[in-house]
Amino acid sequence: MEGTLAIGKAWILHRGDDTRRCDGRTLDEAFGHETSRLKEYIENSPAPEVFSAHLEILEDPLLQDTIQRNVTEGMTPAEAVKAAADEISGMFNEIGDDYFKARVDDLNDVCKGLVEFLDGKCGNPFENLPDDAIVVTRELFPSDTVEMNLGKVRALVTSKGSPTSHVGIIARSKGIPFVTGIDISGIQAGDLLLVDAVSSEVIVNPTNSQTEAFKDRMAAGNDIPEIMRRVVTKYGMRIFGNAGSVKDIEAAIKSGADGIGLFRTEFLFLDRDELPSEEDQYQIYKEAVEACQGRPLTIRTMDIGGDKPSPGLNIPKEDNPYLGMRGIRLSLSMPDIFKEQIRAILRASAHGKVRMMLPMVTRVEELIQTRALVRECDASSDLEIGVMIETPAAALISDLLAEEADFFSIGTNDLTQYVMAADRGNASVSYLNDPLDEAVVRAVKIVVEAAHKKGIPVGVCGEAAFNPEFAELLCGLGVDSLSLGSPALIKSLKHLRP
Amino acid sequence: MIAKKVIIGASDGLHARPAGDLVKLVKSFAGTQVTLSTSARSVNASSILSILSLALKKGTEVEVKAVGPDEEKALAEVTRFLESL
Repeated sequence: MEGTLAIGKAWILHRGDDTRRCDGRTLDEAFGHETSRLKEYIENSPAPEVFSAHLEILEDPLLQDTIQRNVTEGMTPAEAVKAAADEISGMFNEIGDDYFKARVDDLNDVCKGLVEFLDGKCGNPFENLPDDAIVVTRELFPSDTVEMNLGKVRALVTSKGSPTSHVGIIARSKGIPFVTGIDISGIQAGDLLLVDAVSSEVIVNPTNSQTEAFKDRMAAGNDIPEIMRRVVTKYGMRIFGNAGSVKDIEAAIKSGADGIGLFRTEFLFLDRDELPSEEDQYQIYKEAVEACQGRPLTIRTMDIGGDKPSPGLNIPKEDNPYLGMRGIRLSLSMPDIFKEQIRAILRASAHGKVRMMLPMVTRVEELIQTRALVRECDASSDLEIGVMIETPAAALISDLLAEEADFFSIGTNDLTQYVMAADRGNASVSYLNDPLDEAVVRAVKIVVEAAHKKGIPVGVCGEAAFNPEFAELLCGLGVDSLSLGSPALIKSLKHLRP
Repeated sequence: MIAKKVIIGASDGLHARPAGDLVKLVKSFAGTQVTLSTSARSVNASSILSILSLALKKGTEVEVKAVGPDEEKALAEVTRFLESL
């Protein structure tokens, strides 16, 4: 796989630092300038269709009418463009579909060009970009990929953005590693970075041994650490995908995943004013099962808590949502709503292999009560019900849970956070957030032994599974499967199969 | 005015690039106004933003309407375009 690994020095783009200004300009001039700029991009970009779409947006009657109306209402040209962009992107954001939301980037890119011209900004922000740099910034726009001379760039690292955005498409077409969702606040200009677009990881100022190992991988032309190779070829671990939408499932299955180890259902309950009906849920779950093409689909029941407010659920604000009413606790506190989800899952299970997984379990009773609800919905159901092991309580009573559960799935991110009592988001205790810490390893060991004693499978889902040492440890402990979020990684691993 | 209903067949719906192609097609019939309607609302098919704001997904039914000198040709080509996605 080309374009997945890179080593280089960080070059940080802070937008808004550029103070050079030219004279005041009119809206007509701005549209003329933007039109010729886009036409030039269409000539010179590896993805001209992206800028053709931008040109269409620029010439769009809805955008032009909205800007014109704002000017008539007394705004300056730049204000009018900004307000129009906000109004139209607000309309897109209401659609509630990630793909369409991503198109807001295109609109914002076009409007950003207009506003920068109107504000009198001149010059190219990438003018001083050195050769072989790794560009680090909050967010990149398609126009940036033309202005920065991609031929000189080693990798792109952003905190905001999506791999399916137009920037992602352009980066891939040029073979440039592009990693999004990175906390860039700790990266300084000139820091040495190891960028791994397979695992979506960036190591800042690595140790010599990390750099050497990384260079070996680059030299060997393989993007997969040796241990991950052995995870699949020697230990025969099954590789599942994590998914938050039907689109994710399609991507994982296309990459060769053995099934879906974690299908998150929160998106059905968040970002909307009312709860999804049983029928709404059934339609989505059915689509999800069909997208699995006969491979198993593990549906996690809603994992919602005070930190993820759902307008339809009215969860009171909590001081400590990670230790509050969340996951299975919340589901069992509102059995009528929970039963709608259960019925939708039961109906979807007629279309393929479906398993149900409960988040945030701490007591055996929670599993027993859920089974009772399932039987109320369908007395003859043989739906497999599994438990997420993500609290120290669940790990400690895993032998009792194994009596009742059909499978375990260890959620390493939350298990590490709860076992170590170290907030994942708190940088000052991040040194404790280590899945290889003795306490976490012992917890995992207890769980795997309890599962195997009862003959039920135990998988691991969580990004820690990609940590090579941790993966090796999981193999040694006898974990049966890994569930991973990156389709690119699944594909690389599955291609190792003899 | 003439109209015809089509179902969006493309697995990822009508996204930005084909929407751009659609706008170009519609604009090639100067003087003829083409609108797309779903159960929610109707939009001008020469506006890519308006088209994208419909969030047309696979399986959505869309009514294409055309008014103007080239309405028959416009309707035929636009429906063919949407069906062939």
